[in-house]
Order: sequence, then C-alpha cells, then structure tokens
Amino acid sequence: MNARYLAHLCVVLGALVVCGGSAVHAAVPQLNGMSPYGAQRGTEVEVQFSGDRLADAQQILFYEPGITVAHLEAAAPNAVKTKLVIAADCRLGLHQLRIRSASGVSNLRTFSVGALPEIKEVEPNNDFTQPQKINLDTTVNGVVENEDVEYFAVEAKKGERITAELEGLRLGLTFFDPYVAIFDTKRFELARSDDAPLVKQDCIASLVAPEDGTYIVQVRETSFAGNGSCLYRLHVGRFPRPTASLPLGGKAGETLDLQWLGDVSGARTEKVTLPPAVSSTFGIFAKDERGISPSANPFRLSDLNNVLEVEPNNGLPEATACEAPIAVGGVISQPGDVDCFKFAAKKGQVFDVRALARAMGSPLDTVVNIYRVGGALVAGNDDSGGPDSFQRFTVPEDDTYVIQVQDHLKQGGADYVYRVEIAPVKPVLTLGVSERSQFVDIVAPVPQGNRMAFLVNAARADFGGDLNLEFKDLPPGVTVETLPMLANRGDVPVLLSAAADAPLAGALVDIVGRHADPNQKIEGRLRQRTSLVRGQNNIEVWNQYAERLATAVTQTVPFKIDIVEPKVPLVRDGAMNLKVVATRAEGFKAPIAVAMLYNPPGVGSSGSIVIPEGQNEAVIPLTANGGAEVNKWKIVVLGDATVGDGPITVASQMATLEVSEPYLAFNFQSAATEQGKPTDLVIKVEKRKDFEGPAKIELLGLPNEVTTEPREITKDSTELIFPVKTTANSPAGRHKTVICRAVIVASGEPISHTLGTGELRIDTPLPPKPNQPAAAPAPMPAAAAPMPPAEKRLSQLEKLRLERQQAKAAAKSAGEAK
Amino acid sequence: MKRTTFHALAWLAAMASVASAADAPAVKLEAFPPDVQLTTNRDRQKFIVVATRGDGVTQDVTAAAKVTLANPALVRMEGNTLYPAADGATTLALEYQGQTVTLPVTVKDATVERPISFKLDVMPVFMRSGCNTGSCHGAARGKDGFNLSLFGYDPDGDHHRITHEIGFRRVNLALPRESMLLQKPDGSVPHTGGKRFAPDSEYYATVLRWLEAGVPKDAPEVATPTALELYPPKAVLEGQDTKQQFIARARYSDGTDRDVTNLVVFLTNNDNSAPISADGLVTAAARGEAFIMARFATHTVGSQVLVLPKDLQYAPPTTPPANYVDELVNAKLQRIRVLPSDLCSDEVFLRRATIDITGLLPTIEEYQSFVADADPAKRAKLVDRLLERKEFSEIWALKWANLLMVKTTNEVSYKSMFLYSNWLTNQISSNVPLNQMVQNLLSANGGTFKNPATNYYQIERDTLKTAENVAQVFMGIRTQCTQCHNHPFDRWTMDDYYSFAAFFAQIGRKQGEDYRETIIFNSGGGEVNHPVGARRMAPKFLGGPTPDVNGKDRREVLVKWLASPENPFFATSVANRVWAHFFGLGIVEPVDDIRVSNPASNPELFQALGAKLTSYNYDFKQLVRDMCNSQTYQRASQANASNADDTKNFSHSKIRRIPAENLLDCLTQVTEIQEKFQGLPLGSRAVQIADGQASNYFLSSFGRSPRTTACAGEATTEPTLSQALHMINGDTLTRKIGESKRLQKQLDAGQKPAQVVETIYMACLSRKPSPDEMQRLDALLAAEPNPRNAVDDILWAVLNSREFLFNH
Repeated sequence: MNARYLAHLCVVLGALVVCGGSAVHAAVPQLNGMSPYGAQRGTEVEVQFSGDRLADAQQILFYEPGITVAHLEAAAPNAVKTKLVIAADCRLGLHQLRIRSASGVSNLRTFSVGALPEIKEVEPNNDFTQPQKINLDTTVNGVVENEDVEYFAVEAKKGERITAELEGLRLGLTFFDPYVAIFDTKRFELARSDDAPLVKQDCIASLVAPEDGTYIVQVRETSFAGNGSCLYRLHVGRFPRPTASLPLGGKAGETLDLQWLGDVSGARTEKVTLPPAVSSTFGIFAKDERGISPSANPFRLSDLNNVLEVEPNNGLPEATACEAPIAVGGVISQPGDVDCFKFAAKKGQVFDVRALARAMGSPLDTVVNIYRVGGALVAGNDDSGGPDSFQRFTVPEDDTYVIQVQDHLKQGGADYVYRVEIAPVKPVLTLGVSERSQFVDIVAPVPQGNRMAFLVNAARADFGGDLNLEFKDLPPGVTVETLPMLANRGDVPVLLSAAADAPLAGALVDIVGRHADPNQKIEGRLRQRTSLVRGQNNIEVWNQYAERLATAVTQTVPFKIDIVEPKVPLVRDGAMNLKVVATRAEGFKAPIAVAMLYNPPGVGSSGSIVIPEGQNEAVIPLTANGGAEVNKWKIVVLGDATVGDGPITVASQMATLEVSEPYLAFNFQSAATEQGKPTDLVIKVEKRKDFEGPAKIELLGLPNEVTTEPREITKDSTELIFPVKTTANSPAGRHKTVICRAVIVASGEPISHTLGTGELRIDTPLPPKPNQPAAAPAPMPAAAAPMPPAEKRLSQLEKLRLERQQAKAAAKSAGEAK
Repeated sequence: MKRTTFHALAWLAAMASVASAADAPAVKLEAFPPDVQLTTNRDRQKFIVVATRGDGVTQDVTAAAKVTLANPALVRMEGNTLYPAADGATTLALEYQGQTVTLPVTVKDATVERPISFKLDVMPVFMRSGCNTGSCHGAARGKDGFNLSLFGYDPDGDHHRITHEIGFRRVNLALPRESMLLQKPDGSVPHTGGKRFAPDSEYYATVLRWLEAGVPKDAPEVATPTALELYPPKAVLEGQDTKQQFIARARYSDGTDRDVTNLVVFLTNNDNSAPISADGLVTAAARGEAFIMARFATHTVGSQVLVLPKDLQYAPPTTPPANYVDELVNAKLQRIRVLPSDLCSDEVFLRRATIDITGLLPTIEEYQSFVADADPAKRAKLVDRLLERKEFSEIWALKWANLLMVKTTNEVSYKSMFLYSNWLTNQISSNVPLNQMVQNLLSANGGTFKNPATNYYQIERDTLKTAENVAQVFMGIRTQCTQCHNHPFDRWTMDDYYSFAAFFAQIGRKQGEDYRETIIFNSGGGEVNHPVGARRMAPKFLGGPTPDVNGKDRREVLVKWLASPENPFFATSVANRVWAHFFGLGIVEPVDDIRVSNPASNPELFQALGAKLTSYNYDFKQLVRDMCNSQTYQRASQANASNADDTKNFSHSKIRRIPAENLLDCLTQVTEIQEKFQGLPLGSRAVQIADGQASNYFLSSFGRSPRTTACAGEATTEPTLSQALHMINGDTLTRKIGESKRLQKQLDAGQKPAQVVETIYMACLSRKPSPDEMQRLDALLAAEPNPRNAVDDILWAVLNSREFLFNH
C-alpha cells in the first residue's frame, strides 16, 4: 500500500515540476460561479467556471441530458474553461451541475438554458433617454449593481406581445429581488412586475404593444439594493407567457386539453400528452408560433383523475359533483369567487385533502373548508407550511361532503388556478443525505483504494418499519456496504470503497429505499437539498433539490484510517477509548482530524480528536449513558486532513461497537465523619455478568483533602469498603458526587464502568463544652477499644443507635455505681 | 357671497371706528340659558343677561336689566336665580336700554322631591372639590390610603371604596355627620388636603343627604349627563376689572337639565387676561384672549373671552380681502383691534412660495422671469405652476411618512418601507383625494409588498396604539389619556377609547411567502374589552354613532365614516395640518391636539377650511391655492406697531427655519453637488428618503422626524448650537462648496467676481445684493487675489446667513 502512495507521489511530484507551481493535490473543488450563467439551446458556447481548487477538474456532471462538454481545460486553480454544446432539444430552464476533479466533486450550481439569442448588457444604460438597444426575442445577461437602473429599448409592431421575464433569484447566486417595468418613450409605465408568483421573487412584465414604436424595459433591484452578485438573465420577446394552466395536473401518460391562462394575448387551449412516469419536478413550457416561455409552468403528475369546476358552483347546493379519490381543479376567477365540489364518503374513511396553488405558481392563497352538504363545517385549513392548504379529513358519518375553495383575501383573477387532491392517505418515503455542517450538501468522492462514508436519512410519512437501500449507477470499482435502516432509526451509515485500480470517474448515484417487507410496496428516492440563497437568520429562499447523489472515484490520497475494532463492549454508564490508526504515505505528515460519522443512540463521542502531525494513532473517547441502546452497532470514523491546498475526507472501515448492560451495579451507603477523622465508605456490589480476574475500582469525586486507595474486587465480591482519610481542612458538608470507576479487563481490553453516586458527609467537630476542661481526653476510643471486633459492619444509623445505647448503659451503670 | 361678506365687514369696520366709546348703546341683548326648565322642588336656575354694543363689546347687565315674570305664582326668584313654585309654563322678560329678550320658563313636579343620587349628586361634589384629581385621591394608588377613580371614571368602584373597602370607617350610617367622608373635607379632623367645603355648604348638605339616605347605590338606569352648556358663549370685555358671570347647565339623558354652575370646575387658559373665580366670575385684566372652560362629569366646554383696553384707537384696514381666508383672518384681527402687516415683495413671495410648495429654491432664471413679469396675476400663476411639480407631492409624502412612522426595524424590511413611501408619493402625485387615500390606507388588506398601504398595520401591531394613532393622525385627537381614565380636558371617556379601538381588534397578520412580507387581513374575530368590568366594547365612532359591523370588515366600516363629511374632525384637522405647513403655526396648535381645552385661535377659519376641503372633494391642492393666494400668506414678515405682539392670528408672516430635508436639498441645489442617500440612486433628494431609520448627520441635527411616534411635533425646526456649528464647520457645507464647480465655471466663462456674487445672491436669497452690501463685498473681492477663494467665501457666508436658513 505504501509503495503505491509513493508511486502516486512521484507522479504528482513530476507533475509539480511540469506545472511549475500548481497545487500538488487540488482537494475538494469549490464552484463559485460561471460566465455566462446560461446559453441558447442549439448552440455551442464557451463557459468559464470559477471557484477554488479547480486545477485538476476533469468533468462537468450534469444531472440531465441535453448539455455535453466538447472541451474542458483546467487552466488555473480558480478557473475551468469549457465549451458546452447545448442540444437543440435540450430542456429549457435550469440544469443542475457539479464539477468533478481528479480529487473531488464540487458543490451544486445551475446553468440556465434559453431559447433566444443571447447578448450581454452594455453599460452605461442607466439613462432612460439612452437605453441599450436590443432586438425583440433576445436574452440579455447583465448585473444590477448597487442603486443601479438599466434600460433596454426594443422595437415592436402594434399588436405584438412584449414580455420581459427576468431570471435573477433563480440563478441562485444571492438574495436578489429584481424589478422589471416596460415604458413607452413618454415614460408612461405600461407594465411592471416586482414579484410574480410563478417565478417567486423574479418578475414577468407583459403587454401587447399599443402602437408601432420603441418600448423601454427597465431593470433594477426593487429597492435599489443590488450588488455585484445580482446577475440576471432578461428574456425579452414575443413568446407566450401564460401565468397558469388549467388543469394543474394530470395522470402520467394521458393526453388532455390544457388551457393556458394569464397571457396578455388571452387564453388558449392546447392538447398535451403527459410523460409516462410520475416525476416531482415536471413542468410544461407554453409555446406557440411566436416562441416558447423561458420557464416552465409547474405541472403535477399523479395517478388521480381530474374533475374541473363547472360554474356556478359558489354555494354548497350547486357544488360540482365528483367521486373521491379525485383531483379537482378550477379558477377563482374574480374577487369573492368561491368554488365547491361535492363527493360521497363513508364514515371512517380518511382522506388527505391537499390544495396545490402557490406551490404551482398560482397567485391564489387557498383556504379550503370541508362541509357536510347540509352546511355544517367539518374541517378547514388556510396554510400548511406555506400558502397552500392541507387537511387530513376523517369522515365522521356517511354523507355527501363539500370541499370549498377560496382565496384567503377573497381576491380572484384569471390565473388564480388551483388543484385540490382528495386522496386516501398514502405512505411516502423520502431519502436524504445528512449534512455534516449546515447548508453544505454532501458529496461522496472515494479516493482510489480508500473509503468514504455518509448517512442516508429517511422521512417516513404514514408508515413505519425497516428499510433497505439500493445504490444504482455507482462508478466502476466502487462497492457499497450498508445495513437495513431499523424501524426506530431515521438514518443509516453507508460506506463506499473504491478499488485501488478503479478508474477516476464521476457518477450520479440513484439511491432507492424500499420497505423491508416486500409486500408493502413502498419505495422512495433521494431528494437532496442544496440551499443556494438564504435570507436573514438563514431563512431558506432558493433551494435546488438533487435526485441523485454525486460521487466519484478520485485519485489516491496519502492516508487511510482504520478503527481498531474493540473486543469488549461499551457498557451503559461506561466509557471506552476507541483507537483509530492512520496509515500514512511516506512524507505525509499532516494532522488528521478523526470523528465518528454518527453516534449510536445514548453514546457520546468527542468531535475534536486529531491524530497529531507525523503520528499514526489517536483515541476517540466514547461514553454511553444509562439509556444507551443495547445493540451491536456498525460505526465508521471519518478522517479529515489537508492534502495539498484543501480538505480531503476518508472513512474507516465499518466496525462493530457493542453497547451492553454493565457487569456490575453498586449500591453506596452513606458515610459520615468529622474533619480529621477517618471513616469507611461501604458499597454493596451486585454482579450482573460474569467476568474474569479482578476488577480495579477507584473512588472518584472526593472533595479536597480526602483520600483513599483503589481497591479490587472479583466476580464473587458482595461488598467493597474504601477507608477514607480526612484532614482538619477537608471541607465540611454533604459531598454527593462520589462515584466509582470500575475497570474489568476482558480480552486484554478494559471495560470501564462509571457507577454511583454516593454521599460522604463531613462534619465540623463540636466545640468543647465551655465548663468542661478541654484537656479531658475523649473516653470513647478507650471505651471502644475493649469492644469485640464487629461481626457486622454498621451503617451510620446503626452506629448512632449503638452509641446511644452505650451512653444510656454507661449512665445507668454510673447511677447504679452511686 | 364674497361681496356680501365684504360689505358686512365694511359695515362692521365702520361701526367699529365710530362706536368706541364705553357708553355706546347696546345693539343686542341676550339672556342665558335660552330657556328655563325647573323640574322637582330641588331644581333651580340662574340666568344672566348680556348686552352687546355696536363695536362688539359685551357687558354683563344681569343686575341692571329689568326683570318681569309673566306669572310670578309659578316661579320664585331670588336675585337672578329662579326656583319652582307651582307647575305650569310662563315667560321671563328682560329689558335693558330699550332692548328686550324673553325666556320661556316651564315648571314641572314643583312639589316632588328628587331622590338623592350617588352619580348625579355626590360624584360631582368630589370633582368640584378636587377630591378625585390626580394629585389627590384620584392618583393611581390614591392618597393617604383612600382611592377614588381619576375624575370619576368608575363611579361604581368609588361607591364600593367609600362604603365597603374598610368596613364602616368612611361612612357612619348611625351618625352620618360623624362619617369620615364629611369630617375630613370639612376640616374637623386633620386632612392632608385641607378643608374642602364648610358644614354649611351645599356640598356638605348633598353628601350628608346621601349618608342619611343610607348611602344608596344608583339604579342601573340612572340618567347620565349628555351635554354641558356654558354661557355666555363669547365675551368681549373692555377695560380692566370689567366682570362677566358665567353659568353652566347640564343636560341629562332623561331629558331634564340642571343648573350646575356650582358643581362645574371653571378654568381659564389665560389667567393674565381673564382670571375666573371658582363660581364662574371672570374679571378682565390685561389685554388678550382667553378661553374659559367648565368641566362637569365627562364633559368639558369652553367660551372665548377677549379683553380689550379701554378707549383703544383703531381704524380697520380697507384693502379688500383676496378670499375667504382673508375675510376670516381680518374679522378676527378686527375683533382684537390688530392691524395686519403690508404685503411682501415679489422677491420674498417667490422664495417663500417656492420653498413652501416645492421644498426647493427658485432658480436664477425663475427669479429673473418672475421679477420681470408684469402680469398682475403672476403670483397666482406661480402658485399654480409650483403645485404641478412633482416636488410638491414629495413634500407631502414626506410629511405623511413622518406621521405614519415609515421606518425600518428588525421586523420591517427596507423593501416594505421603500414601497410604502412610494405608494404615498404616488397617491399624492396622482391627485387621489385625501379621503380616498386615507380609506385606501386604513382599510388595506393584502401583502405588505403587493399592497404597500398595509404597512400601516405592520409598523404598529398593537390594537390600542393603532387606534390612538388613527385618532391622532386623521382626526387630530389625542386619546392616550383615556386608556386609563376619562379625559380631564376633553369629552373623551374610556368607553370612547375602547369602543374606538374595537375597530382594530380584528386585524389578522400572517407571514407571506417572502419572509419579509406580512399579509394583513380581516380575521373576523377578536374583541376589545373594557378594563373596568371587562365589558366587550362594540365598535363606536369617536364622537359618532355605533355602526353595524356584523359580518363586515370593521376597518372598512370605520374609514367610510372617518374620511367623510360625517366625521367632524377629519377635514378640519387635515386642513389645519396644511395650514400649519404654510403659516408655521396651526389654527389649532399643536395640530394633532384638537380638544375643547385647546381651542382654535380662529374657530370660523378652522371650520371654513375644513368645509372647503370637503367641498373640493378632499383635493388639498385647491386648499393650498386658497392659502397661497390669500393676502394673509403674502404678508411681510416685518411686524407693525399694532401686531408686533400677535403670535397666533396671522397678522404678519412667521419666519420659519427651513425643514431639515428641504434645507439639505436647497444646499444641494445651490452647490450642484448631489447627495448620496442609502438605498436611493445618486441624485435623489432628501425628501425622497424612504426609510426614517437611514442615518444622515445633517438631517438628524436639523430636526428631521425620528418617526418614533405619530406626533406632528417630531420634526422640529428649532435652531440649535450643533446646527450652527455644522453649518459653519461641518463637512456638509465644506464639502459641497469645496467640490462645487458652479462658481468656477462662471469665472471660467469670463464673469467678473462681482457678477458671480450677484448670482450667489439670486440663487440663495432670490434677490440681488443691495448697493450697500455690494460696496462692502467689492472691498472683500479686491482684498483676495484668488477670485475662486473670494466667491467661495461669500457663498459660504450667504449660506450661513439667517436669511438663507429661514423662510421669511
């Protein structure tokens, strides 16, 4: 193994000479931006990616087909020059991508594909009277600086549709709140848009040109708070831009009549055939002879039939009839409009009534109420984690029920569309990958001949039970090791190992989770969040969700770590030192931070352990609390080290850590003494499990100036006595933190227990009685001396009783003596 | 209409000039109250007779008038007090100097005893004797262990505290005269508050009667006082020591009335001119105006009293008034025998109007063309031109933004405030009538981004404070005191307060999709409860009826009344704010403290402006036109001998420091060095700053409104030392003058330094330097070899002059 590292180092050193100073090992690449952020489909475009540690970049990993890399040149640590070929049939809109280098996989960014020819903004364009002239049907790439205003002039014929749709926030760069307005040359504002529900904080301004002439498009940040990161792509053209479709969803594979609503040129209907498979991110692009919308209208694919509203349906009696399960749809077409749907249901049936409106880009803020047809309100909801409504509805009686939909502010309009799904409760499984630090999404680069580990988590909605994971499309030479995810666990460790000769390659791995019981046909896939834009207090504003995990085989790294698998269990209320050893390539001396990938329930571990520079091992202290779950856990340790100019993470093997019941239970008796006097601290020993040899017991937590010696017990001991010495300076009081550490040695390894707690009371001696000569020696020791050695060790209470009896007896005898 | 008024005024003026002698005959005789109703044997009614001379001076002639009762069998008369004798109706005839007046008198239940009432008889004694004031037992924790509700807002609680709080310590039913309730105020036992009334007084008798009756509690349906009348309503007293008796009468919900002259608290707002005795006798003192008030139960009413010196020589001006503003202002000036100043020069008018209307200085070109213009209507045309400029809207948007506290906080984003401020500017620049604007604002629903007007409810989320702000901003009424007790100097009660607040009890708020946005909506639920007794308060207009709000958005119901002619306070208070902008002083001042005890200096003008605003369909530009075209606005700021002491009757123009934002914009304008304000493009002006939180040292030190309350007085123009130092030494002026290329360009173009100085004067002061000034400036210019330094110094000096800093 070491020889291989050496060989690798030689290669790298050779490269060092050739490259003249570029990094030895680029480590995990960081992708900060690209230029441009988008391109027209059907073109070849040069795109420069910028970031850190990109010198050994080898591949752009696209999550979807349509874009291919014709040329890639890793020019410098902070830039990669590429030529991208965008297929003519490439899907429009955002395409997720990462950069894979020889040493890692970058964070996720998006690239926007458009249909229109692209140009760049040319400053100065800040004066209304001197705008940048552009053609209609153009995409402008620009930036809104602080307090910047930009003007573009387009020529249009009377009756032509002019739409300006701006991608700003959606580029995922910064908290950018753009604003677009269209003026005529006399500065009359004809259309404007700050936020458009369909595109969130981005904007869509549309109009039909009233005259032949010039129209001025204004772009700015809504409140002039732009900055150098406020890049935008402004699509100005004649393309259709409906703001809604009806229906908002349909059955996978079916053909339906889709009404396009909200376009300035009016509504129209189009026949649409839906894709055969259900997908959570599907959308439909509106197109006509004048163009295609730059972004899709979200469209829900499901297995439900559609029923659309039939007006009048404003009251319960005239509700549109349907049969649940069903997806009902319609438009709250004017202020005050209310839509009702009725269906029969049997007592005890449970339906999830889910409104989809804002989530689908509709301006509607739904309020959904459920009535019995007679008029009694049964259930209702306004918002459920967003403007859309959700209500789990248990049918109280056999009856006809009415679903009533309206806007929260009683508003309405041509594009206030909605879809309400009335469906039986369906179990849903969603997988994720647990982040190691917040908002840094996990990727899994596996160095050749090394390992990488991560936790896959599962959100189980409306079901329980064990889950099995399957990993598809792993890169060649990579094997996976994992376990079933137990019903009471939300995550499970996954270990990827790459063969030493696995070729360097990237892959997007499809992770499928299935219920362990094959009869329960529950299946879920990965949905991994990348938080691209956040607001105040880290409120998430713009996220991307990847459906596959980015992984890669990367070049060998000069270290490897292994857990020395413990031969003994970690007991409840016990501790263990988990040893981790590093194998270093010759010459690699950097410190390696080691930490548990995860802690089994009830187990704690230190997160700040480092194998020091040049050394090969470290121990991670583990502790288990009294409630730690007894089981044989598979644990993994991750090792982080700086290799070259950046961090590299590898994983240990999967080792077994057994958490077990303790071998012993101690019952402390209270001990009391006076300052300066010794006492015995007595502990009743209860053996729970057999063990070999002596157990070494230390008494800990004693106050200052109180001492004792360690003791040993065997599996047969029932009592343990610590003779405790105090001094005149031992602090008086009740010391309740006295504990024992019991160490049993098995298979040559310690099993450390922490047992307790007991109490030691230290009193201040009573002052001598004033009328008594202080010199009088205490008679007690003398009196006690002749007493026979106690058969039985007395408790404090028993001692007191005995003292009292003796005193009484002494008094009596004295009296008799008189 | 205008002509008639003018004729009437001319006639009045003529009368005034001839009839200044004290012995002039009465031209009018009035008797108060206008009718007498005596109900039950405990009733009585005092009357007064007032004669008015031709010059408007009034005289209390009650003693001198000849009194004739048509049927003396019905009424017993002692002095000027009438007592019931037998049931029936008759008249009381009064005659003085040949003038007569007759009062109808009716007597009912003349032999019926009126039972004693705690609320109607005993509570007023506490008020009159000062027992329940804030400094005595009305304090929040009472005094010396005994607590009464402040000004009697909680009579039931007071009854409980007197009769039950400490066993029978305070009342002794067996020996009523031994009750502490009597022994303390009559001084027979030590009392921190001293002796309040004597055992032979009426007050003592009333309390004793109540004790003897067994301290009864009133039946729930006991009558309540509905109105208080104070007579005479107006008095003009001539000469020191002239006296006028005032009387007060209360009206009750059961239709009866009572002479409460001995139960009301009389107050004067000007002891110097018209001190009033506890029994309501005013004795004229120094020349001046005073407002006499009477307080009874929850009511406060007032009368205006004018005190003139004897034998004042006065000839009213003869210039015809320009419009109703002048007519009403002149009428008031005439009443107080004050002569207005002359009209100001064209130069002064141009500068004054331009600053007031647009917040900027007239340019040199504007100055030159205006001065050269020979059109007699050029002033009115200038006003019209200025009103059409965008800057006019911006000044008023700024004023509203101050009142509406447009300011970012941790909860309120800059975007919200930017949109809100723009919304205000748009409303004004697109001539949305003020009532419509207020309706749009207060009934707004929706997201704070989508409908920026809703920010009103995002900035202030407390129901009670919202109600207080609405009353203060849109009605000029401060209701804050009535949160805890009835208003001591106004008519507002706690019931009014909480029932008005109930309009804002159902405002729903939820976070929008953008975390910075809040959605304001009508939640349809939520009530306001009265803190005394936890009654649920039905929404009731302040000083108006209780509307039907069932199933409606309460705010919509409110605004329909609030911003309409039915609300007597809206138009007048808004018009008064506009007036205060142009005259530096409200007709009611402060403009947001309209109350009975703070009367308008010219009530007729106050009402007329409100009525005009309503008749203009709340287009306040029209009102501005009326004001700016009046001679009153166009008067010189130099006072004459007659009006030098007048500070509130608009007899001469008031010199005003230019408000902070406008001053900074003027400096920018003169130096042509643009300011950079946070969150606005370069070249924006200070009045356009959306966020009251944005920091700017110049604006803060020159008294920009911090926008922390809805008070109009937050923006100040009081000069301070730091302002003076900032102008002299501060970076604003130094930088602007230093960077300015304006003067250099003129010098480069070949202008002589003296010519440049002339343009400085024209640009900053809208006048040319006087020959005297020019002579001294020439000497300065000659002494400085570098002409740029010289003209810069002169510019600096001019900008630091009071003539520049003030609008005069």
